[in-house]
Amino acid sequence: MELNHLVLQASRARLFKELKEVQREKVADPDIQLSCDDNNIFKWTALIKGPSETPFEGGVFQLAFAIPEQYPLQPPQVRFLTKIFHPNVHFKTGEICLDILKNAWSPAWTLQSVCRAIIALMAHPEPDSPLNCDSGNLLRSGDVRGYQSMARMYTRLAAMPKKG
Amino acid sequence: MKAEAEAEVKAEEENMTTATTSSSTSEDFNPCPICLGPFLQESYLDKCFHRFCYNCIRQWIKVVSGKRSCKFASVTCPLCKIENFSIIHGFDGSSFQQSYVTQDFENGFVLTKAHKYRLQSYYTEPGFLSDIFSVSRYWKSHKYLQPNHWLHSWLRREIQALMQEEDVDIVVHHIVGVINSFQTKSKREVQRKTPEAKSEEFRSLISDAARPFLAARTDRFVNEVELFLASGLTIEAYDAVYKQRLGWSAPRVTGESTEGELSEQRTTIPYLYIFDEDSDETD
Repeated sequence: MELNHLVLQASRARLFKELKEVQREKVADPDIQLSCDDNNIFKWTALIKGPSETPFEGGVFQLAFAIPEQYPLQPPQVRFLTKIFHPNVHFKTGEICLDILKNAWSPAWTLQSVCRAIIALMAHPEPDSPLNCDSGNLLRSGDVRGYQSMARMYTRLAAMPKKG
Repeated sequence: MKAEAEAEVKAEEENMTTATTSSSTSEDFNPCPICLGPFLQESYLDKCFHRFCYNCIRQWIKVVSGKRSCKFASVTCPLCKIENFSIIHGFDGSSFQQSYVTQDFENGFVLTKAHKYRLQSYYTEPGFLSDIFSVSRYWKSHKYLQPNHWLHSWLRREIQALMQEEDVDIVVHHIVGVINSFQTKSKREVQRKTPEAKSEEFRSLISDAARPFLAARTDRFVNEVELFLASGLTIEAYDAVYKQRLGWSAPRVTGESTEGELSEQRTTIPYLYIFDEDSDETD
């Protein structure tokens, strides 16, 4: 009981520090905008910009973070709220297949650096461990153009502000 | 320790609610990568020397080893992924503690002040107390034929400090056994060997017995055992003399009222124990 309380305090303290850092760095990383739920330090959202020279360019993608009480000893749970066509993101749930969010997690990662890793994943998909088989199969069969046009279409549909 | 962590959290929360603007010093502030706070009990991994709070890295090792069914001998650094085998911590300028990843941290053995003083004595020059206790007289006067009632407790503490483990019974038992058989054998000797030869015999026996456990510190350990035996003092009296020489000056250091042993030391004046020929050997 006592110990759980301490772990909770430790994760809360660390999240406060991250929040402070994020508020300071806002200008430093224009591609990531992290914010925390006003009432719950364990719920965060992020807006990330689709990396340039990818089908996601020009889109803004929203991520939802659910942070476990054992954070940073346990990784945060992250998923896309914005629909995205990407081999390593589940098309319906937005679940992300990324090693650092699972086995390769290290407590030295921060929410900010997790966002950077996700941006890197958007630019460099891993079609061999797909959560979205359609997307993965396109890449694996060498149909890069097909993959890109599908991904671009969904970026336009879901990740760009509607015009007019 | 726990109170400290909690106070730290509280202070941080207050910081947040008052929304203090970050000062210029926080620009180059280099926090613990795990808690992002200032280092509490600075600790280093033994290969890559990355720095963490002791509790932070310990917690992480616990999480990592909890995932494996078998015992896990190493931990990869959260920062650089290099494989490390131990944590180096408690560095106070002359000595440090080392905890291996395989050790059961839950029941981790924490060195007491008395252990630390013993460890510190290993950083002094040999012959540190040779003007007070005469080792050669010990061998010349055949005092080694007498049992020393405090040896067992003294060895236990010494080996705990050197091995940084609480349960050292087997090692102590082994070394005490070697010393006892040396004594028994010496008593039976018809022709007495020279004191130098006896000392040499004793030293090599202890050295052989202790080396598998104490490794590089064995030689100094043998010196310390000899010195303690030669002093003929109780542990308290011996410590008092030793600490005075180390500058720990036991009667003065009474800041920690929790250390009951210190108050005992104040009342113990170093005295020379006179070996009683007829002392019973049941102890």
